[in-house]
Amino acid sequence: MTPANLPSVADLPRGHEFPAAHFRLGPDDVRRYLDAVEDRSSAYGQGPEGPAWVPPLAVAALALRATLEQVGLPPGALHASQEVEFRRPVPAGASLRSRARVAQRSEMRGAVVSVIEFEVDEEGSPGPAVIGRATVIAPPGESPS
Amino acid sequence: MSVESVPEVPPLSRRITQEGIRRYAEASGDYNPIHVDEEYARATPFGGTIAHGMLVLAYLSEMMAAAFGEDWLAGGRLKVRFRAPARPGDTLTARAEPRQARLPDGQARQVSGDRVFEYGIECCNQRGETLVSGTAGVVVARSR
Repeated sequence: MTPANLPSVADLPRGHEFPAAHFRLGPDDVRRYLDAVEDRSSAYGQGPEGPAWVPPLAVAALALRATLEQVGLPPGALHASQEVEFRRPVPAGASLRSRARVAQRSEMRGAVVSVIEFEVDEEGSPGPAVIGRATVIAPPGESPS
Repeated sequence: MSVESVPEVPPLSRRITQEGIRRYAEASGDYNPIHVDEEYARATPFGGTIAHGMLVLAYLSEMMAAAFGEDWLAGGRLKVRFRAPARPGDTLTARAEPRQARLPDGQARQVSGDRVFEYGIECCNQRGETLVSGTAGVVVARSR
């Protein structure tokens, strides 16, 4: 659960940039993810220690989590929509960096609608591997959980 | 293959369980109590735990990955709205409806013979309620 002393996502202004987050998804992490989502497709290949490629949505999910754990999500906050684009395969074990910012912020009947854009780069790669936009709706008058 | 031909994508079904939600929380690091704390979740407007939206989205991504392999990893795109929650006990079916084939943006890829296939996608529960809907696209390299 998010500590109460973090700012609520609803309080972040448009343009707010989240500190970059670094993470790595090794073969064991990929296996754990594939087991959790019951993904049996062979699209991720086979390397010496397990799957060769990281499921791209795992990259997006980890990037989003790394971003949102820096803020408080008020009780009742909803993940309303999601866009994600996979630009290059991510090898299992690669070092990844995600960056994110509040691209839009608006209010609707007291609820705050925040659009968070993120991109994930593989270290040493010329461009992002995964980019995305998540829309989060925070209900009015709630404190972060 | 002509640019007008959009391949069919086989549907995929998965059953949501609380144990599966717990495993996803562990794999993703998302332990929001609405997903994993049944007592907490009972007191919310949802009346019980719900699956992570990204877990449901993973089924749609798997469906496309199974159909397009490495092309999906290097050129897939999803755009969805989460319309209703998936709950433990639900059986979800992910489907893709072929929409159009087109040339990719950018002259270099057009010359290479790559093409883009676009789909309407949705994930429904066993009652036929649409939980997630939107679009998917994939750039398919001619060389594959």
